[in-house]
Amino acid sequence: MSAVQQRGSLTQIELAGVTGLSPATVSNIVKELTSAGVLHTAHSTRNGRRALKVTLARNLGLVAGVHFGTRSLRVAVADASMRVLADQHMPLAPDHRADTGLRRAALLVGEMLSAVDAAPDELLGVGVGVPAPVDVRTGRISTVGMLRGWDGVDVPQILEDHLGAPVHVDNEANLGALAEARHGAGVGHDAVAYLRVSHGIGGGIVLGDRVVHGRSGVAGEIGHVTIDENGPICRCGNRGCLETFAGAGVLLGMLSSSRGPLTLRDVIDRARDGDAGCRRVLFDAGQHLGVATASLCNIVDPEIVVVGGQLAEAGEILLGPMRTVVEQRTVPAAAGPVQVVAAALGATAEVRGALVVALDSARVGGALGVVSA
Amino acid sequence: MTGDRVQEKTPVPVLSLRGVSKNFGGVHALVDVDLDVREREVLAVVGDNGAGKSTLAGVLAGAYRPDAGEVRLDGAPVVLDPPATARALGIATVFQDLALMDDLDVVENLFLGHETRRGPLLDEVAMERRAWALLDQLAATVPSVREPVRTLSGGQRQVVAVARALLGSPRVVVLDEPTASLGVRQTAEVLNLVVRLRERGHAVVLISHQAADLQAVADRILVLRLGQVHDVFTGDTSYEDLLAAMTGAVRPGTRRGGSRKAVAP
Repeated sequence: MSAVQQRGSLTQIELAGVTGLSPATVSNIVKELTSAGVLHTAHSTRNGRRALKVTLARNLGLVAGVHFGTRSLRVAVADASMRVLADQHMPLAPDHRADTGLRRAALLVGEMLSAVDAAPDELLGVGVGVPAPVDVRTGRISTVGMLRGWDGVDVPQILEDHLGAPVHVDNEANLGALAEARHGAGVGHDAVAYLRVSHGIGGGIVLGDRVVHGRSGVAGEIGHVTIDENGPICRCGNRGCLETFAGAGVLLGMLSSSRGPLTLRDVIDRARDGDAGCRRVLFDAGQHLGVATASLCNIVDPEIVVVGGQLAEAGEILLGPMRTVVEQRTVPAAAGPVQVVAAALGATAEVRGALVVALDSARVGGALGVVSA
Repeated sequence: MTGDRVQEKTPVPVLSLRGVSKNFGGVHALVDVDLDVREREVLAVVGDNGAGKSTLAGVLAGAYRPDAGEVRLDGAPVVLDPPATARALGIATVFQDLALMDDLDVVENLFLGHETRRGPLLDEVAMERRAWALLDQLAATVPSVREPVRTLSGGQRQVVAVARALLGSPRVVVLDEPTASLGVRQTAEVLNLVVRLRERGHAVVLISHQAADLQAVADRILVLRLGQVHDVFTGDTSYEDLLAAMTGAVRPGTRRGGSRKAVAP
């Protein structure tokens, strides 16, 4: 049961391999659960042979994921096997606030549920990612002043009032880390370190299939690792944080006097087209990211470092210099240096992580209607 | 970094207004308006009711001839009216009412009045292909180009109207109140559309009274108040500052001329 839920859909033979049960036993269990309305089977072919594809039945309910970025909102609705049924994103104003943002997100979830012909009570849970550290026990943002307009807002309460389903809130990069570890570039690796390099810089660590939160949800906040103790003052109040060297605002500011106002997308496009200034800015950003990542690697020693967020779309222009610095600054291991790869889920990693959290909590809470087998 | 230096080094504006005024009888709808918009830039125009937003859209569309002042295209003075001239000069305007024919399908609406012909017949295949190509570029979610426009959602209708405006390959796209009376999902589609127009290299003038929507996509925000340019802000200006300017709570022109503060990290 949980094997099917974690992998979305798989054939009976694969299911036998994953669970270690004999194919006959699996076949019986699947038959039983199908007649109970929990699983859905469909004929397909695998390696040229007939196979029975097993997925969770849609009538188990739906989950919604909501990702508030610094400048964007993304909402997705998925069924109990993590198949995304609807996905919508929109740009947000800088400095967007919680009240309008949460109302919009709730309206979007409602509209998307009706677009897939689902009733509001089919919603089992909602996962929410926000661009600030979150105390996951209360769902509140655990720092002050990092996300103006969101301080002290009871995000779960407001959304539960609108949507009538349990709401779980986490930091966006933690959700991205979870999604990449379960469904993206980090599959099969433990631990997975994830960097989200976009308007801000965040990070998350997945250890033994669980996100490391720490005392107050600040774990993995790599954007606020000190790079230069005499550096500029960061929005967090410290000096010389990674974000003050490789954050989007800084990168764009460095280019604005010679190239006018650009967006991150413009910088990446121009760098690809050979603009030396844009390439240099990304190169330097990669080196700074490498310095902070090396510190992280020396402490956590992850099997893989996954780089996501919009800047990761620059590919090797950014990852090359980053990898070099990480190799220079980490303890050499017999197995070779840590892998540094681009994220596989792109801009949807965070919202998928939100779906994973919603689904996991629904399962633990028993809302999926079955005792996990 | 001062505002002046930024302006010098950025390319020449595609479209500029200098000292443009427009009166309707005794009503001063626009007074001495200066405006610049460049390629790959979204200039948002925001203002309260009666601030002169629609008159400004009319001037840019060539529907109104200014009583005073100058319109410049690539730095050279031009006259935009009648609207056909504005379109020929590469300025496409999409008005609030969209001016779509509800009973015609998407292709018919796009090519109405300038259908592609092959001999004496309409080349339906070519038009349909071109329609899909345009809608794809806008990443539109229109279910079919052969459905009457009446069956589409508000956001999809907006996309069709914009696609029609893009047929003449305009350099400047003016959108008048594109998100008014739209639901949240359609608003999302329209804002994504604006981002895509910018990526395609168009200069976009986005006129609205919904400050939060404008801030999501604008590079610069021009605040109109009582027909005058109250102020020009950068896209990352706080909502409070914008609101204060819209309502006249602060004196005008304190940062006029597109002054830019350094982008905060």
